[in-house]
Amino acid sequence: MSTLNYSRRGFLRAAGVTGGGLVVGFSLSGCSAPGAAFDPKAGALVPNSFVQITPDNQILFYCPRDEMGQGVTTGLTTLVAEDLDVDPAAFTVELAGAHPDYVNPDFGAQGTGGSTSIKAHYWQLRQVGADTRALILDAAAQDLGVARNSLSTDNGHVISGGERHPYGKFVATAASLEVPVETPLKAASEFNYIGTDFTRLDGVSKSTGTAIYGIDVDVPGMLHGVIQRSPVAGAMVESFDASAARNMPGVIDVVQVATGVAAVAEKYWQAKQAAAQIKIQWSTPPLASVSHAQMLEDYKAGLAEEGESAASQGDVATALASATKTIDTQYFAPYLAHAPMEPMNAVVHVRDGEADVWTGSQGPGAVQGLVARFADLEMENVRSHQTYLGGAFGRRATLHHVIEATQLSMATNKPVQVLWSREDDTKSGVFRPASLMNIKAGIDDNGKVSAWQVKRVGGNITPETLKNALPGFFPGLPNGVIDWVVGMSNSAFDGWVVDYSSIEGFSEDYDLPNHDILHVTKDHGLPLTFWRSVGHSYTAFAKETAMDELAALAEQDPVQFRIDNLENNPRLRNVVKVAGEHMQKMQPAPGRALGLAAHGSFNSYVAEVAEVSIEKGQIKVHSVLCVVDCGVAINPDIVKAQMEGSVMYGLTAALHGHMELDNGEIKQSNFHDYPILRMNEAPRVDVVIIESQEDPTGVGEPGLPPIAPAVANAVYHATGQRLRDLPLKLA
Amino acid sequence: MIEFELNGERVRTDDAPDTPLLWVIRDSFKLKGSKYGCGAGLCGACTMHVDGQAARTCVLPVGAVVGKSITTIEGLGTPDDLHPVQKSWVENSVPQCGYCQSGQIMSAAALLATNANPSESEVDAAMAGNICRCGCYPRIKEAILAVAGEVQQFDPASTQEVTS
Repeated sequence: MSTLNYSRRGFLRAAGVTGGGLVVGFSLSGCSAPGAAFDPKAGALVPNSFVQITPDNQILFYCPRDEMGQGVTTGLTTLVAEDLDVDPAAFTVELAGAHPDYVNPDFGAQGTGGSTSIKAHYWQLRQVGADTRALILDAAAQDLGVARNSLSTDNGHVISGGERHPYGKFVATAASLEVPVETPLKAASEFNYIGTDFTRLDGVSKSTGTAIYGIDVDVPGMLHGVIQRSPVAGAMVESFDASAARNMPGVIDVVQVATGVAAVAEKYWQAKQAAAQIKIQWSTPPLASVSHAQMLEDYKAGLAEEGESAASQGDVATALASATKTIDTQYFAPYLAHAPMEPMNAVVHVRDGEADVWTGSQGPGAVQGLVARFADLEMENVRSHQTYLGGAFGRRATLHHVIEATQLSMATNKPVQVLWSREDDTKSGVFRPASLMNIKAGIDDNGKVSAWQVKRVGGNITPETLKNALPGFFPGLPNGVIDWVVGMSNSAFDGWVVDYSSIEGFSEDYDLPNHDILHVTKDHGLPLTFWRSVGHSYTAFAKETAMDELAALAEQDPVQFRIDNLENNPRLRNVVKVAGEHMQKMQPAPGRALGLAAHGSFNSYVAEVAEVSIEKGQIKVHSVLCVVDCGVAINPDIVKAQMEGSVMYGLTAALHGHMELDNGEIKQSNFHDYPILRMNEAPRVDVVIIESQEDPTGVGEPGLPPIAPAVANAVYHATGQRLRDLPLKLA
Repeated sequence: MIEFELNGERVRTDDAPDTPLLWVIRDSFKLKGSKYGCGAGLCGACTMHVDGQAARTCVLPVGAVVGKSITTIEGLGTPDDLHPVQKSWVENSVPQCGYCQSGQIMSAAALLATNANPSESEVDAAMAGNICRCGCYPRIKEAILAVAGEVQQFDPASTQEVTS
C-alpha cells in the first residue's frame, strides 16, 4: 500500500482514466477494493484521489472528512470548487472510504475531529482544484488547437472565444497528459465561492429522509443484534442463561461478545425483546463500589495533593503574597454523555476471507482496522463504507459497536447490524470526564492578573481514547503491546507528565506573567473520551468565571478587565472588544442581565454575551451574542450554524447536563433524566464573524466553551449569586 | 395480519401487534427516513402522521393503527417534489447532522396543516417534543415561520378509513 505525500507541493504527478483506459500513478487502484474507498466511473478522468470528471461532465468529489453535521461536505467541496472553477452545487459529493490518501493532514491518520477539517485541508484541496483545472486547460488547448492563454473557465466549462465547452469534453486528452503541479491559486479577491453563503449541499437529502446513516443500511439477509451490556463499565460476563431468549420469536442465536451477550434475530424489535430476557452474572470491577459522593470526596482530597505541573511561568507564590486582592475558589463539572441523536450502530458482513463494514464514524480507517483485527483479515480485504453520522461530538471515535457487529457476523455467518439503545448510549458509552478545579489568583494595583494557579482533579482523557483507537489504527499490534502502551500512558499521565487534553485552556488566553497549572489524577475507571471541545468544555467555565470574579474584585468592567489582560493575544482581545461594543448597545429588559465570557480553542477565538433572567427560580437564557474570529470564513452561514449549535450544545451542559455514579452505574438512562435543550428553551443567537485574511481555523467546537461561563456571569449580574458548579443551579 | 394505509397505499404486515410502528415501517417496509432516537417517545425522531396528527411511533404499537392512515417523511415530499416545509428547510439550511430532521419536519408539517400562521410560542409548544442535539432550533423556527400560510390545511374528512 503506497502512501502519498499530499502536501501542497507534492501532489500526484500523473492523470489517468478508468473503465478500460489508462490508469497511471493512481495509488488507490491496487490497494482497496472498488466501491469502498473510491468508485471509478467509466471513462472518467481521475487526476487524483479526490476528484473525478466524467465525459458527460459529472464532477465528483470524494470528501475525505466525515460529515457529522458540521458542514464538512459543503465546506471541503467549496475548497476544491473555488480553484477548479465549478459551482459547489454542481458537484456530486461522495463520502470517501478508508484509504491512506484520505488522512487528515493534521493527524496523519484518517480521523475527523478537533475542529481541524477546513484548517487541515484548506491549501491541499484548493491545490487539487487548481491543478485539475490546469490539466483541463492543457487538454482543451490541445483539442481546440488554440493557445492555452486564450482560454478561461466558468463553472465547469472552458471558454474559448464565444464558445463554452464542458470540462468533460477534454477528459480523454487530459488523461494522457501529466497533471500540472504547484499551479498558482486564486487570490482572495478572485473568490467566487469561498466567503459566500449558499445552502448546504446535504440539505435536500437531510430534509427528505433520503440521507443514509449507519442505522439505515440494510443488506440482503441482514440480521439484527441487540446486546445486553454490563451496568457497570468494565464488568465481564461470568455466566449467562439464554434459555428464555432463545425461544423468543425470530431469534436466530444468542452470542457472547466482548461487551456482553447479544440476541440475534431476524428483526430489530425481536432482538431487542429477546436481549432483555438474557440473565447475566457480571463480575464486579473496582468501579462498582464508587458512587457520586465518594467520587466528590476523592476529588476534594485530591485538591490537597501537590499535583504534577503542566505549565509554569514566573513566581506564583510571591505574586500571590504580594497581590492586592485574591480569590481561592472551586469549580465543578460533571461526567457527561455525548448523546448524539443516532445511537451507535454498525453493519458488518464477514465471509470468505473478506469483509464489508458500514457505519458512520469519525475514523473509517480505524473501522477497517478493527474489523481486520477481530476477523483476522488483511486490511485490504476489508471495505469500510462510510455513511452520514447522526451526530458525533467525539463519540463516534470510539467504536465498540464495530467490534460487536464483527463478532456477531462471524458467529452467524451473516451480515449483522448492531444497534445500541438510547439507554446503552447514556449509560454504557464513553464520557466527558468530571473535574474539580481550584483557582487561586490575585490582581495587582493596576488590575492585572498577577498570580494564577489552577489545580485540576479528575481522570485523564487520552489513555482510554488511545486504548480504543490503537487496535483500529494498528490492527496487527498484539493485545499485549496495546495493553503495554495504554498502561504506559496511564502511568505516564499519573505521575510523570500531564495529559494536555485534560487541562487545555487554563492558561493559554491571558497574559498571566505568573502562573502554575497543576494536575492530580483521580480516575475511578469510568471510560473517558473527547467530548465536543474536550478539556475546554470545563476549563473555560472555571477560567472565565474566575476572571469575572477578579474583575468584580478589581471593581472593573468585565470587558475592559479582560482587554487589559490580553495584551499578548490580539485576536482574542479583538473579539472581546467587539463583543463589548455590541454589549453596550444591548438593552436588556428589566429583570434581565448580561454576562460575557471569551475563550480561544482550536485556533479560533470566540466571545459570547448571554442575556438571562430568573423565572420561577429557573435560569432563562433569552439571547446570545457570539463574536468569532476563525480566519477566512469559507461558508459564513455554516460558521453561523456551528456557533448556534455550539451554543445550544453548551447550554444543555450549562443548564441540564448532569450524570452521577451509583455503585459504579451511571444513574441517568434516557432523555427524561438526561435532558437535552429543547425548542422552548432555545435562545436567539446573533453571530458576528470577524473579517479576516488569516488561514481558516476551527468552527465545530470553539463556540461551546464560552457559553456556560457567559450564562453564569450573567446570573451573577442578575442575582449576585456566583454559580461555580455545573450544571448551573440557583441556591 | 394488520392492515393500514401507508403513504396513500393500503398495506398489511404480519409483525406482532405490539411491535412499535417505527420498526414495522423501518424493518418490514424498508422506509428508513423515520429515525430511532430514544424508544420512549421523548425525542420525536420517529414522528409520523397518523390520520394527520403527529405521533411518536417508537411507542405506538402497530396494532393500534389498524385501518388508519400513516404518512412518513417519504410520503410528505421527495427531492424532486418537496413539500413547502421541506423546501423551507433546504432554503434555510436547517439540517446539520440531519438525523432528527424527518421528525422535526413531520411535527412542523402537522402544526402548519392545522394552524396556518402559528405564533412563536405556538411553534415552541408544538416543537418542544422534538430534540435536535446539533441545536438547529433557531433555524427550525425560522423555517417554520417563513413558510406559514403556504401549507395546505388538514381536512379530517380526507382521511379514508381502511377496512381490514
